[in-house]
Order: sequence, then C-alpha cells, then structure tokens
Amino acid sequence: MRGSEILERMADSTSEDVAVVGNTDFAAADLHNNTNNTVTGYSCFSKTMMEEGVPLLKKMEISVSETEKRTGKNAVNMQEVYTVYLIETRPVDAITEGQSTAPDSLWRRYSEFELLRNYLLVTFPYIVVPPLPEKRAEFVWHKLSADNMDPDFVERRRIGLENFLLRVASHSVLSKDKIFYLFLTQDDGWKDVVYDTGFQAKADSRLKALNATFRVKNPDKRYTELKHYSDELQSVISQLLRVRAKVADRLYGVYKVHGNYGRVFSEWSAIEREMGDGLQSAGHHMDAYAASVDDILEEEEHYADQLKEYLYYSESLRAVCRKHELIQYELEMAAQDLVSKKQQREELTTGTVRTFSLKGMTSKLFGQETPEQREAKLKVLEEQIVEGEELVKTSNAECDEYVRNAWVDIDRFKEQKNQDLKEALISYAVMQISMCKKGIQVWTNAKECFSKM
Amino acid sequence: MSVSTPKLLPSSGKKSIHDVCHPLSCEEAALTTPSPELQNTSSIGDKDLSLPNGTPVDTSSPASSSSLLNRLQLDDDLDGETRDLFVTVDDPKKHVSTMETYITYRVTTKTTRTEFDLPEYSVRRRYQDFDWLRNKLEDTQPTHIIPPLPAKFVVKGVVDRFSEEFVETRRKALDKFLKRIADHPVLSFNDNFNVFLSAKDLNSYKKQGMALLSKMGESVKYVTGGYKLRSRPLEFAAMGDYLDMFTQKLGTIDRIAQRIIKEQAEYLVELREYGPVYSSWASAEEELQEPLEGVSSCVANCSTALEELTEDMSEEFLPVFREYVLYIESMKNVLKKRDQVQAEYEAKLEAVAFRKEERNSAPTDVEKCQDRVECFNADLKADWDRWQNNKRQDFRLLLTGMADKNIQYYEKCLAAWESIIPLLQDKPDGKGEMPS
Repeated sequence: MRGSEILERMADSTSEDVAVVGNTDFAAADLHNNTNNTVTGYSCFSKTMMEEGVPLLKKMEISVSETEKRTGKNAVNMQEVYTVYLIETRPVDAITEGQSTAPDSLWRRYSEFELLRNYLLVTFPYIVVPPLPEKRAEFVWHKLSADNMDPDFVERRRIGLENFLLRVASHSVLSKDKIFYLFLTQDDGWKDVVYDTGFQAKADSRLKALNATFRVKNPDKRYTELKHYSDELQSVISQLLRVRAKVADRLYGVYKVHGNYGRVFSEWSAIEREMGDGLQSAGHHMDAYAASVDDILEEEEHYADQLKEYLYYSESLRAVCRKHELIQYELEMAAQDLVSKKQQREELTTGTVRTFSLKGMTSKLFGQETPEQREAKLKVLEEQIVEGEELVKTSNAECDEYVRNAWVDIDRFKEQKNQDLKEALISYAVMQISMCKKGIQVWTNAKECFSKM
Repeated sequence: MSVSTPKLLPSSGKKSIHDVCHPLSCEEAALTTPSPELQNTSSIGDKDLSLPNGTPVDTSSPASSSSLLNRLQLDDDLDGETRDLFVTVDDPKKHVSTMETYITYRVTTKTTRTEFDLPEYSVRRRYQDFDWLRNKLEDTQPTHIIPPLPAKFVVKGVVDRFSEEFVETRRKALDKFLKRIADHPVLSFNDNFNVFLSAKDLNSYKKQGMALLSKMGESVKYVTGGYKLRSRPLEFAAMGDYLDMFTQKLGTIDRIAQRIIKEQAEYLVELREYGPVYSSWASAEEELQEPLEGVSSCVANCSTALEELTEDMSEEFLPVFREYVLYIESMKNVLKKRDQVQAEYEAKLEAVAFRKEERNSAPTDVEKCQDRVECFNADLKADWDRWQNNKRQDFRLLLTGMADKNIQYYEKCLAAWESIIPLLQDKPDGKGEMPS
C-alpha cells in the first residue's frame, strides 16, 4: 500500500471505522499484561479475583481505613516524617458466607500510589487513568491548612486514595492488572516487581510527545476536539475552585463578625432592665450563627474534592490524546519515510533527479557513480522499503487499535463524568439548602428574643 | 441639696381641658406667650386638672402625679385611640432656583386639637425649617429632651444630597422627628410646633419671632452657667452613667453593623464572579449544560438577594443607630443644663445664708431657683421614662426588622436552590449517547 493512501485512510477515519469489539478490553489487557506469567506466587485465590469480564471490585472489598505517621530515612539518608495509609482487602464471598474473616491489610505511602499510577499510565496509555488526590493542598481558603501533615488534609487524602483504588478496581481493564492486584495484597517487595516490568523504559519522553503535538499533519478531529475539551475543563474547574475558595473565605468573614453581636448584646443587656433578657438570649443565637459556618465550610470541602478529581482527570484525558498524537505522528513519519525511500528508488532506476538531494548534487559535482555502486544502493533501498512497508502496516494497525480502544474508554469516562458531576452538583445544592434552613432557624429564634425585649 | 418633693406651684385658674398642660410641666406659659416666664405655671393639686382626653385626675399627692404620668406613657397600645395629632413627612421634591437647589418635603397634619384652626394641614418644608423648629424647641423647652434631627451637613463629593437613597433616609428621619414631638405631651403643644405644621409662610413667622425676641430683650435660655455643682443626685447620676455606657454599646453595634455590611459587600463581589464560571463551564458541556446553567442562575439569584439585604442594612438600620447617638447627645446636654440650674440654686442658697438681713427680698429669688430645679427634675424624669420606653420600642422594632430581613434573604436563597434540584436530577430522555 502506498504511503499516501495510508495517510488518506487515516484522515478519513471516523467512529464508524471503529469496531467495538466485545472483549476488546480483555484482548488489550492480554496484550500488555505479558508480565503476568513471570510473576510467582499466583495463587488460585487470585485466579478467581482476576476472573474475566468482572471488575475486581465485584469480588473484593477494598478500603483505605487508617493513617499513621512514620519516620524513616529517605533517599539522601536524611530523617523524614511521612504518612502511611492502611489498605484493607477482603473477598466479598467471605462475608456472604456468614463468616467474616479479618481483612488482609498492608501499609502504603503516597509515593507508592504514585508509582502504581505511573505504571498504569504507561501500561494502559489508551485508558483515562483515575487521578490521585492532590500531592499538596491547593485552592485553600485561609482557614484550611496547607500543611501536608495537617490531620484534616491527611483525612481528605485518605478518602481520595480510597476513591482512587475503588475507581481502578471497578474499571474493566485496569482492575485486571496483576501489578495492581499485588499493590493491594503484596506487602514486601512490590516496588521491585513494578520496576522489573521495565515500564519506565516504555514511557514516552516528554520531548517526543511535544514534538509530535506540533508536527502531526492529519490529526484525528475527534481527538483534537477532545484535547480542546480537556484544556477547557481544566481551565474552568481551576477557575471555579479558585473563586469558590474566595467565596468560602468571605462567607466565613460574614458569619464570624455576627459573633461580635453576641458579645455586645450580652454587655448591653447588663445595663438594661426590661430589654435585658431578650438581648441576652438573642446574643446567644448570634454566637451559634457565627459558630455554624465551620461545619458548613467543612462539608463544602467534599464538593471541592469532587471537582478536584475531575480537574486532575482532565490531565489523564490529555495524556490519552497526547499518546494518540504520538502514535499518529510515528505512523506519519513511517509513511513519509517509505514514500521518500520509494522516490529514491525511482530516481536510481530511471536516473532522473526529481527532487533536490545531496546525492544528486555531489554526483553532479564529482561525477556519476558506477553501475555497481548504483546496484548496491538499489538493493539496500529495496530492503529498506520492505521493512518500511512492514513498519507502516504495524504502525497503522497500532494506530487503529489505539483509536478503537481509547474511544471505548473515553465514552465510558464521559458517562461517568456526567453522572458524577451531576451528583456533585446535587449534593452541593443540598448543602446550600441546609445552610439556608439553618440560617432561617437562627434568625427566627433571634427574632423571637428581640420581640420579647 | 437634694431635690425635695415638688412644692405646690401657682394656680393656673380655670381653663378648658385642652388648655390644661401636663400636670408636671411648668411651661404652660409657652402656650400663650412667646417668652416663657416661670410665674405662670400650672398647679398640681388643683381642681381643674385632667388628662387631655377628659379623665379626671387625682392629684392630691405628688406620687399620684407620677402615676398619672406612668399611665399616660405606658398606654402605648391605646395611643391610637387617645392620640389626637398625626403628622407625616413624605413626597420629597427638588426645587431649582437661581440661587440654590434644595429639597422640600410635604408635612401633613391631622388633628382634633383646638389649638389648631383647621383639622388638616399640608405644608412644604425644607431641612432648615426643621432645624429652625428644633432650635426653637430647645430654647423654649430647655427642660425637655428634644428628638434629634438627621445630620445637617454632608461632605460634598462623598455623599450626593440629591440621590434617592440619601433623600429617603433623611425623609424617614424627619418623619420620626416630627412624630416623636407629636407624641410628646408637652412638646406637641409648643407654639412653634403648631406654626411649623400649619403656617403657609413659615419664613415671615420666623422673622417675626426674631423681632419679638429682640424686643423682649431677655434671654430665653435657662442655663446661666458659671456655677459649679457639688454633687449630682443619685438618680441623675445613674442616668448619666447609663447614657455613657449606652453610647459605648451603640458605638460598638454601629461598628459591627458596618463591618458586616463591608464583609457582605466583599462576599457579594466574589459571588458575582462565581456564578458566571458555571455558565462558561456549561458552554463546554453537553449533558451537563442545563444543570450547570441552573447552578449559575441560582448563584445569581442569591447574589441579588444578598445585595438587597445589604442595602436594607445600610439604609434602614445604620441611620437609626446613629440617630440614637444624637439623641443621647441631646439627653446629656439636658442633664448638664439641669446640673447648672441646681448649681445656681445651691449657690444662691448659700449666698442668702450669709446675708441674714436681706432675708425678705432674697428668698423670692432663691424660691425661684428652687422652683426651677424642681420643675426641671420633674420634667426630666418624666421625659426620661418616656424616652426609655420609646427606646425599648424602637430597638425592638429595629432588631426584629433586622432579623426579618435576614430571614427573607435566606428564604429567597432557599427557594432558588430548591427549585433547581429537580432540574439537576432530571434524566435527559431520548438523548441517549452523547455525540462524540
């Protein structure tokens, strides 16, 4: 097939070309999980866990239940304090059979979660990989501590890490990964196992990816739109979180100042006779009003966390688009290379120089080559062309497969996103309603006290 | 020397019910002549005294006089029936002349009192007329607490004296000013007040009054000054203390209210930025577009509600607090005047003690002073109680009003959020898969 034809075909690819294969995920998983067979200690129990077609979460209970502070020496041999999180797992069967066995558990720190995620990103580049909770506290409003050791931060991170594990465990492709399973179950030496997969070597260099972004000639329109969307999503959620933090800050101020009423009403009531009681009790309500804002804003942090998850999800989306660009670019390069090689062959056989080449120039300057030389060159070229055609074929197949698989997961992600965000908005509205009702209650109480003045 | 029980004051003679002034007032003269003199005072313990509404009064003892007063003051609920003078300030209008631009207000009066020629009046007055009235009242009724006026001067450039908010705030304060006078059993019978409410041409009366005054040549002011008070009687000292502490509390509350308004304003700024972000997000989404737009308009509604709340706070509540600070100032001045009168009396009493030979003529002068002191004390006490009661009512109204506004704010927000819940929960039917 001629390179230009390949390029044309690629440019024309639409969703109709994507054959949604029933067990695409299974096949893809197999393609990339060739490390499965090399891992030892693959018990029968785990075989059931990795049952085809069923996400891990259906078979296993997973939770991140506790946190602890540890001290130890870091990479540069310095003392450091860090937090570890307890991962508990228990087969679902164990409970339904009446007996509740104690869950298996192990401790992991944040950096290990990061390692797991990086592994998943490299191994499943066509999957929108769930994000981890933020590494450092961002979008804080003044009351919230930006300290990583702060108990509130640690607690919210615990929830975020649990959420991450549940997302992975409920994903039809990701949950089947062996490394993920071992992350949950293998206490010692998990890190070595991960490194042994050699996934780091497979990671695409940043430079390569950037290069591809600017040089792709026929980007898939859907992916371009998707990338544009992920940029928009990131931008708008960042802005939303930023402004929300400011709003929270101001709301806090309004409520707290009302607490001053409490104090002055109390003082004032001391110099009054008939008015005293009403003022005093009204003052108490003002104090309660001021105090109520702490709970209100703490609840709102959950909403902020839900938004943050999708802020970081946008990065995963963009990574999928970038990978596609890279594959596309490599295909285009291979095709282009093939085209140029064929052209060179043509030139050599016909003797005409169609395009400018250094060879052509030097031969003009220094004389023509001998027929033997030309023959040798042609032979090399033919071999290269054969290789090139093979490369284009595989690149094309790779691209097609990628496009297919990725789009399946993107559709899944879109549905999940819409549902999750709708729920987040509903719970936010419910929070606001609760806040309004509390406000009405407090001021009604205060009004009653005032009317008794 | 402490204030003794009020002595029997000279009789006022036979008078019609409406001409009889307040039993504890010694300013009956103010009703008939422009310049008050102490000689013509009504008497307690005389036959013709009765309440303005005709109820006969037992005034045989001083104690019953004050109980009479108590009955007058605390029957707030019956005010509507026994009140015979209603005053309203409304309809501000701008007047532009070559010399100046100013606002006039319509002052409407409805009354059954015979002091007035007509049962109804409608006149136009400007701020300086109110100011004139207040000065007149202070001069002619120095023993009484005159309600405060809103601030006279406004910093040009900072406040727009012709803006709707400013004019409305001022109108309300002027309305309150006149209503307080109309409700006062002594002040409401003041001649100047009558003229203010009824005269078509107030300016010519003003000039007339000035001429009359200069003819009289006598200072209308009570306060002689220059005498030092030995000790304030306990009850007046307590009043002074209360006023000081109350001023302090009011100042604190004013500051807190201002702070809240400021915080709310800043909160509003952020909210106005917050809502639109949901809108811009909505434009990037498909299935989420409606829910996000819903949230955006919800936040916008809450913002508007907050704006209304803040406006109400600064236009209706803050002015009232400030007004009371002015009221307290005039209260303190009256207290000072009282101290002066007492000091004068004490000084004259001492002076008499040293000059035994002049016992015959001097006593009348001392007696005059003593009368002054006793009248002043009685008036002040009566006004104080009345003031305390009104203050309680005013603040009860003010604070319940403030609570109400906050309740309304939250109710508006609640309605907004409740209305979008169904929108958020709505499943798009027939939309199926989103287009890729």
